[in-house]
Formats: sequence, C-alpha cells, structure tokens
Amino acid sequence: MKKTLANSTKDISLVKRYNLFSYFRHLILLLWSSIVLFPIFWMISTSFKDSGDWVAWPPNWFPSFLGGGYEPTLHNYRQIFAFSSMGEELSREATDQAYTIWGALGDSASIASVSSLIALLLGTFLAYSISRFNVGGKNFRYIILTIRMVPPIVIAIPIVMYYAILIPYATDTLFQIRFSLFDSYIGLSLLYVATTLPFVIWMMLSFIDEVPYTLEHAARIMGSSRLYTLRRVVIPLVAPGMVVTFLFIFILNWSEFLLALTLTQPKVTTMPVLLNKFQSAVEGRLYGPQAAIGTIITIPVVILGVLIQKHLITGFSFGTIRK
Amino acid sequence: MVDPVKSTKKRAGFVAWLGKERVFRLIPFVIVEGFFLLLLAIPFILTVYISLLKWRANRPFERAYFDGLGSYVKVITTEDFWWALGRTFYFAGTAVILELLIGFFLAMLVYKSFRGRRFYITIFLIPMMVVPVVAGYNFSMIYVDSGPLNQILSPFLEMFGINPRIRWLSHPAAAQWAVILADVWQWTSLTFLIFLSGFSALPQQLTNAARVLGASKWQIFFWVHLPLLKPAIIIAVVIRLMEALKIFDQAVLLTFGGPGTATETIAFFLWRQVWIFNKYSFGAAASVLLLIMFSFLIFYGIHLLVRERAVVQEEQNI
Repeated sequence: MKKTLANSTKDISLVKRYNLFSYFRHLILLLWSSIVLFPIFWMISTSFKDSGDWVAWPPNWFPSFLGGGYEPTLHNYRQIFAFSSMGEELSREATDQAYTIWGALGDSASIASVSSLIALLLGTFLAYSISRFNVGGKNFRYIILTIRMVPPIVIAIPIVMYYAILIPYATDTLFQIRFSLFDSYIGLSLLYVATTLPFVIWMMLSFIDEVPYTLEHAARIMGSSRLYTLRRVVIPLVAPGMVVTFLFIFILNWSEFLLALTLTQPKVTTMPVLLNKFQSAVEGRLYGPQAAIGTIITIPVVILGVLIQKHLITGFSFGTIRK
Repeated sequence: MVDPVKSTKKRAGFVAWLGKERVFRLIPFVIVEGFFLLLLAIPFILTVYISLLKWRANRPFERAYFDGLGSYVKVITTEDFWWALGRTFYFAGTAVILELLIGFFLAMLVYKSFRGRRFYITIFLIPMMVVPVVAGYNFSMIYVDSGPLNQILSPFLEMFGINPRIRWLSHPAAAQWAVILADVWQWTSLTFLIFLSGFSALPQQLTNAARVLGASKWQIFFWVHLPLLKPAIIIAVVIRLMEALKIFDQAVLLTFGGPGTATETIAFFLWRQVWIFNKYSFGAAASVLLLIMFSFLIFYGIHLLVRERAVVQEEQNI
C-alpha cells in the first residue's frame, strides 16, 4: 500500500517536472523567436512611418490603430516606387523626393535569374558527368569548393582590373572597339555564375547520386542516345532537385553585395547596392525609404526560403548534410 | 559544292563522336574549366602582373612602371592591413563561437517532437534568408540612439543616472559587438539547422543501450551524443568560419568601418584602398598575399569537410 502510494507520488512529480521543462522550453524558444523576428518587425514598422517618426524618442512601437503612437503611411513606398501622384508638389527636402527603384529591381531580378539559370544548366551537366564518369579525377569535386571559400574581395580586385583594363585594351587592339565588361549585365552575371557553380555542383551531385545508374543503363540498351537518356530519364528524376537548387542560388545571387558594389554602378545597380546608396546620401540617412526597400528585397527571398526550407541545409553545407 | 549527303553523314559522324563516352564525359568539364580559365585564371595572372607595377588608377596605365616587390613590401609594412586581418579573425571567431553555442542549445531543445516544433523551426530559419545588407540595416536601426534597444535598457540606465540615449555605434567596442551580434543573429539559424539534423540522426539504440547500462542523462550526453555529433560540429565550424571571414555586408551598412577603423574588416579595408583611394597595385599585392594565406586555411577546411562527410555518410548507411 505504502509502496504504491510512493510510486504514484513519484509519477506525479515526474509529470510535473516534465511540464516544468516544457514551459521552460517554450519560454526560451519564444524568447529566441522574438529576438529573431524583432529586427524584421522593426524594419517593416519603420517602412510605414513618416519622417518624423523614424528616430523619434521614445520610439513608437505600434501603429495608431493598434493603440500605438504613429500614423501608418504609405509615403515611403510611394517615394521609392516614384508613383506619379507625388510628381509636382514635392518640396526639395530629401525626405520628400521621389526615388525610383524600378531600375534596380529589374536589374536585380534579371541578373539573379539569368545567372542562376546558366549556373544551374552548367552545374547540372558537370555534376552528372562527375557522378557518372568521375570526370576530373576523384578530388575534382573538392577542388571546385575552393572557389566558394575564397573571400570575394580577393576575387573582386582581379576581376575589376580584368573587366576595366585588360578586356577593353585587348578588344581595342584586336578589333578596334573598346568593349568593357565593367558595369555591365554580362560581367556581373558571369561572375555570379562562377561563384554559384560550386553550390550547384554539390547540390546536384547529392541529387544525381541518388538516381540509380541501372535506369540509364536500361535506356541505353534500348537504344536511346546519351543526350536523350539525360533528357528523358535523368532530368525528370532530378527536376525537383533542380528547382530547389535554382531557388537556392537565386537567393544567394539576389542578396549578393560585395561583387555588385565593386563591379557595377552607375549604370547597373542591384537592390542591395541601392539600399547602400541611400545610406550615404548627402542629406543624411533616409531610414524610411531604406526600410521600405529592405522590406521589398526581403519578402520574396523569405518566401522562397520557406518553400525550400528542407533543402537549405543541403545547400549551405555543400551537400555534406542531408535530411 | 557541298554534297548534302556527305555533309549530313559528316554531321552524324560528329554527333556519334560526341556521344562516345570518352568525349561525352568531358564536354561539361571542358566548358566549365574553360569558363573558369577565362574568368578567374586570366584575371589572377593579370593581378600578379599589376602587383609588380607601381600604379594608381587615377593615372593612366601607360605611366605605370615596374616596381618589383615594392607593393608587397608596402602591404606587409602597412600596420592597418594586419590590424584589419586580425580584426576579421576576431570577429569571425567570436561570432562563430556564439553561433555554435546558441545553435547547439536551441537544437537540443527542439529536436524531440513536441507541439509547435515545426513552427519554431520555421521561425528560426528566417534570418538565414534575410539579405545580409538588410540585416545590417536592421541592426543599425536598433542601435540608433533613439532606437528600441535604448528604450528597453532605459529603466536600468536611468536608475544609475545615465542618459539612456546612448550612441552605441560611436563607441569602438560597442560597434564591434554590434557587427558580431548582427552576424550571430543572422547565422545562428545555420548552425541550428546543422545541429538539428545531427541530433535527429542520433541512433536511438545507442541511447537506449547506455540507459539500460545505467548511464545518467549527462553521461549519455557527454559520452554518447557528443562524440556522435562531432562531425556535425566540425562541419558547422568549417562552413561558418569560412563564411564569417568574408564579413563585409553587415559592417558596411552598420558602421561603415567606423568609428575610426574599429570595425574595418579585411574586405572593407581592401575595398577602401582600391575603390576609394585607387591604390590598384597595393590592392593587387594584398589580394595575392591574402589568397596565399587563405589557401592553407581553405585546404585544411576542405580536408576536414571531406573527412567528416565520409563519417556522416557512414553513419547514415548504418
């Protein structure tokens, strides 16, 4: 009798301990969630604040319809999208000027998507031939990684000299035209292809290695050519992987900053560079438009990232860790 | 006159030649290698050449003259170069240690299934996808003298009679920590993810066996789980360290190298030398030196990755 009672109290205390642990866990996880979300929340709320509220003291946390202190306004968004309604009546103050981000948005989207696509195609085929034929020797796949690990500034300095000096000089002497890749779509895209190829190769290797070779073998015996086998057997099987890889390197290219900052401007401008421009504006920092730009750059990337959540780890760890 | 039959035959022969295994396997390899050769190898040779000249970009290239190893000597004797390099390692090291600790702790809390697990994981992953420049901007908003950080701290600060509107980013040490914390905020999600997959791959039988043999929770953790997680830890260290040494984006938006040179990382230092002061041969020499220095690190890092990858795959196959 006594024994069972003791046992049952012990059980209860165990349950209690488990509950306590559970509360503790939720507390910590909620704390970290708030740390993670707060900067993003602050950016989004700043993007709806008018110039007086950007750095008001004490800062306003919530818009007026939630009982907070600032009137939400679309002014910042209207400014950066340069909507015509702002047109004439603008004052000359920097906070009221219209800026346009359409150009940068287009540049960013086109450069990121084109270079991701090229890298995806090249990388997939190379990954296929590494996986199937062991091209380049056993260590080739590791040698490729070095490109990703070199700090981009070490790449940027040679490239800027190459684009701005050697190529114009060479084309001038050979064809009598000065052709420069500096500040051009092609120049930046080519470099993005080079810097994301290691990721593509490694991600695609992890997908292609899983496709059984016997399938291709069967197709070959039935008389399909190599390209046909690749197109109708291998590619359909790794297509989901290709989509994931494309989105992953799209995110990387979309957020790339150093190379875009050093190799472009003023003609070609990507979004991160544009955000930085507002930073060093002579008129002082324009927090509101910056926040609006930040929101616009971040939202598509976060959506894409959440879509490929499960594969992010494969990408960032070069396929070393798979779920 | 070209004989059409002959030309199609020739074409078919060419396609067949391409289809041969010894040719076909090399096609993508040759394309990619040629691409790298054109885009990365030639510029590098050019860089080595320019690093041997004495030339500033604000003068015409024709006036550059051969200077031997002059630029290299200049780089090595520039104190700021070494300071920037040291600072980069300090930032990267501190940030990576914090990221590992926090990521490990969070993964430990989350890896067993409970209600809301997926929700937390999704939220924790968000910073990784935020554009680094935007992360830098966000933190600059938070550290602003009338920002939320100061408001949260103000009750404590006013208790001690300090004006709560502290300019964090004008103080060297605080600015350095601001850069580090921005990096930690962004990349803890990656270490968290790596450790999470490490924890989920832990074989349950070993834990059970240890428990049956009478091991306590801490013993299981230290003697069973930690050794099994070693590959994940090493992979996380290598990947994060290599990325953290590139630190540039957040620092530009957050502090722009300042105050003074307190947050000037090596990337920022070289960017300023080349793109602001136009010291091209200096930059070229510095990038050659950096590449040599980093190559050891890179090869060791890749060696570790390869080794641990083999271990991970073996574990997965068991």
